[in-house]
Amino acid sequence: MIAPMESALVLVGWDFRRTPLSVRERLAFTPDGIRDALGDITRRGVLSEGVIVSTCNRSEIYGVGTSADVEEAVTEFVAGFHRLPKPDILGSRYGLSGPDAVRHLFRVAAGLESLVLGEDQILAQVREALRVASAAGATRSVLHRLFQQACAAGKRVRSETGVGTRATSIPGVALELARKVYEDIDKRSFLIVGAGDIAAIFYDLLISRGARSIDVVNRTFDRAQALTARGGTPRRWEELGARLPHADVVVCATASPRPLFGAAEASAALSARRGRPVLFLDLGVPRNIGEDVASVENAFLYAVDDLKEMAARNLAGREKDIPRAEGIVEEEMSDFLSWYGSLAVVPTVTSLRRRFEHVREEEFDRQLSRFDRVPAEDREKIRLLAQSMVRSLLRHPTTALKEESDPVRRVERAEAIRHVFGLEDDAE
Amino acid sequence: MSAALVGVLALLLYGAAEGFSIVSLRKNSDSLARWTTVFLVSGLVVHFVALQIRARRIHSVPYRDLSDSMSFFAWMIALAYVILFFRHRERSTGPFLIPLVLLFLAISLLTRPATLPARKELSGSLFAFHVTMAILGYAALSLSFVLALLYLIQNRQLRQRRTGLLFSRLPALDVLDRMEHTAVAVGFSALAVSATLGMIWAKKNWGTVWDAKLGATLLVLVVYAVALFSAPLGLKGKRTAFVSIVGFSLVLFSYTIVNLFVSKGHVFR
Repeated sequence: MIAPMESALVLVGWDFRRTPLSVRERLAFTPDGIRDALGDITRRGVLSEGVIVSTCNRSEIYGVGTSADVEEAVTEFVAGFHRLPKPDILGSRYGLSGPDAVRHLFRVAAGLESLVLGEDQILAQVREALRVASAAGATRSVLHRLFQQACAAGKRVRSETGVGTRATSIPGVALELARKVYEDIDKRSFLIVGAGDIAAIFYDLLISRGARSIDVVNRTFDRAQALTARGGTPRRWEELGARLPHADVVVCATASPRPLFGAAEASAALSARRGRPVLFLDLGVPRNIGEDVASVENAFLYAVDDLKEMAARNLAGREKDIPRAEGIVEEEMSDFLSWYGSLAVVPTVTSLRRRFEHVREEEFDRQLSRFDRVPAEDREKIRLLAQSMVRSLLRHPTTALKEESDPVRRVERAEAIRHVFGLEDDAE
Repeated sequence: MSAALVGVLALLLYGAAEGFSIVSLRKNSDSLARWTTVFLVSGLVVHFVALQIRARRIHSVPYRDLSDSMSFFAWMIALAYVILFFRHRERSTGPFLIPLVLLFLAISLLTRPATLPARKELSGSLFAFHVTMAILGYAALSLSFVLALLYLIQNRQLRQRRTGLLFSRLPALDVLDRMEHTAVAVGFSALAVSATLGMIWAKKNWGTVWDAKLGATLLVLVVYAVALFSAPLGLKGKRTAFVSIVGFSLVLFSYTIVNLFVSKGHVFR
């Protein structure tokens, strides 16, 4: 049942596990590049449908092939498209077909193939890949259904397992913590102390989550000013104490050799805030915030080691859920494969024949018994006539299905036939 | 059908809601959470039918004895939770709040309802409204108690840097704080209305407004007033939660000890 698919559905790809960054960079597709490549590859008849998933960690071409040697043809095409010598990219290339290709895509969408297990972005990237390919007119029924089901699998894995839920990076964990104190991050006030790399990572993260009230305090005012180019307010070093009571979350990431403030300043800030809680995130090494701040009521202090530990624990928790995520992938996969299998030629022809025979038996034989003046030998002749009629009626649709060489068109015809004759719920 | 039988059906529906809310919290599943709401609301409807049957039988709002009053109380808690749920869209508190409903309904089903007809002065809409508001108030304050406990638990986990499953599933501190505030505001207002109506009724029937129950209720109201209006005084977060817990222990005291032994007008009969 799956046999016709083995030859049709293929994947050719390069990822971070097997291909060095220097090669991956040259294999990456820009959005315009994807459109051109898909247009080219379908026009040339290498693939009858295609979708390209291109991220910084992977470049993968999914397609339904029309020839026996699709993987080679796709590799050849990619080498030509990126003007790379084929031997350079052949060694680290992987090619999968049929159910293996389906499984790979579902695992990718679920984040099981990602550098950071269960990361969120890839699902959006897979969805975007489908959108771009559809807009370019490169997808039809098979890849469309395949990618939609992959996204459904990815979504289920994230909502039903812990694989994608808990943050595994330090900024991610910090944000998760902040959201346990104040739910709406975008409506909160943040105070970032420092303007170095770590401060910048935090600033970007907050901006991307829609935070608007961000104060940046730095010893060198110019750097605070440079950092707040996309929103927020730069503040002078002297303003640190005055800004403290306004912040719901305080992030310290400076290279200061001794703590910038301690319990006395923190409790003054908290009483000015009338007890509204504050999350203090100390990312400096050595510590930027006095350890005694932890004892101030309604103040929560987390140092970089705490965040590291949480990230590690979350990662371990994610790994524990891999078998459950794989279970979901298999479930969604078999769902897709049974749809696909039902569209294959043989089961469709069988169901169609069964449907016609059923009509003949039910209707014709039943009606015939009512004509009591027809002699017995004529009854037999009429029955044979009915059988031959059914056979002739089936002949044309059967050959139209069997002799279609384009696999996608074949599937589409099978789907149309199943739909028109109501064969959808005909379980094989 | 008997009220007890319908009550058992309601208990089963609430039980199913609790089951679904626990599983959906563990698995973080939206579809399971939807079932929680479905079962909870159907439990509420069926439970209402049970209360109606009792009301028809005794020709008054069912609160006259321990069994009826507990059942009514459980229904009010479920109602208050559903209101809270739709107002704050927060469902992770379900597993902690629904057990209260189960507990009080189970107590009601296990105790024998009275069959005596009501005394004459206890009928009338003023009295019915007085008791209904009191029970609504207690129900809302029970919810605020559970929310205050959850606030303290979440606060403690944040402080001790323990970030397990419960931590990740419970809502943010400020959400718990707001929900608790809503519950206290509803409870406080209902109780204040109830006390006022009670005084009017007592003046009419007893000739005096004073009763030990009124004293206890005023004390409860004062404590909750502190929780409710203290934010500008710098009482926020953890301390408000404490006040709410103290208030609730007073509620329990007032509902049990005062009702059973001290107050002359508030024993069940």
